[in-house]
Amino acid sequence: MKQGLPVILSLIVFTSLCDTINQVFLKSAINTLSLSSPVTVKKIIRFIVELIKVPRVWGSFFFSILSLSVWLVVLSKADLNFAFSLDSMVYVFIAYASQHILKEKVCFKRWSGTILVIMGIILVTLS
Amino acid sequence: MKTFKKGLTLKVVLFIVFTDILETFVQFCFKKSTLTQSGFDVRAFSDIFSFLGGVMSSWFLWGAFLLVLLEFIIWATLLSKIDLSVAVPAASLSYVFVPIVSIIFLHEKITLLRWSGIFFILMGVIFVSMSSKEKQEHLE
Repeated sequence: MKQGLPVILSLIVFTSLCDTINQVFLKSAINTLSLSSPVTVKKIIRFIVELIKVPRVWGSFFFSILSLSVWLVVLSKADLNFAFSLDSMVYVFIAYASQHILKEKVCFKRWSGTILVIMGIILVTLS
Repeated sequence: MKTFKKGLTLKVVLFIVFTDILETFVQFCFKKSTLTQSGFDVRAFSDIFSFLGGVMSSWFLWGAFLLVLLEFIIWATLLSKIDLSVAVPAASLSYVFVPIVSIIFLHEKITLLRWSGIFFILMGVIFVSMSSKEKQEHLE
């Protein structure tokens, strides 16, 4: 790693934050719509058409592209396993944002499951 | 099996697994499309454009784009049924599928450390999906 570590670290935090905003925007846009059961292909098409009319979804696309662009910069500067391990902090951000912004109930079991996933990803990327 | 608004039913789990498999093939197609440009070396800025031009002529890239579109449709449908804090950890199953596809199609070897990581991810996903079921029972 030749480039400054603080720069790489802040770029990784930035992509994770962009990813979180992307998912939260998408989910909150979806929450304004409803898809009744049983789900059919026709209903899904209508749902997607309605969905892309919600301005927040385009915000979600914007952050998704921004995240991907910064991620490519990160990958060109940092080691892949280092970048991937740190990028798993997105799971913490998502859980936190789901709890506080989307008002989902993130109980102890869900937090511990999320932590296990992060540990697993770190092990996978270290190998 | 009754469908609850936010419950994690078998059908939902199967669709999450399906998006993970799609994601795996998206990554596979992206990698294949860049492999067509194996002799690539950046000397000037214009080289990037010739690289992108070469990649775009690969059918794998267009296949990847098509899969991304399909994945978005399925992911949006899934999110209409389950919590984001369940869907995102569950989608990490792609860390389990990518190595398996790598063994079969790219003939890569998987170390013990990686298998243990895969085990942790699976345990985590099981915990997260159990938390969703618990809430569902609580609602009843």
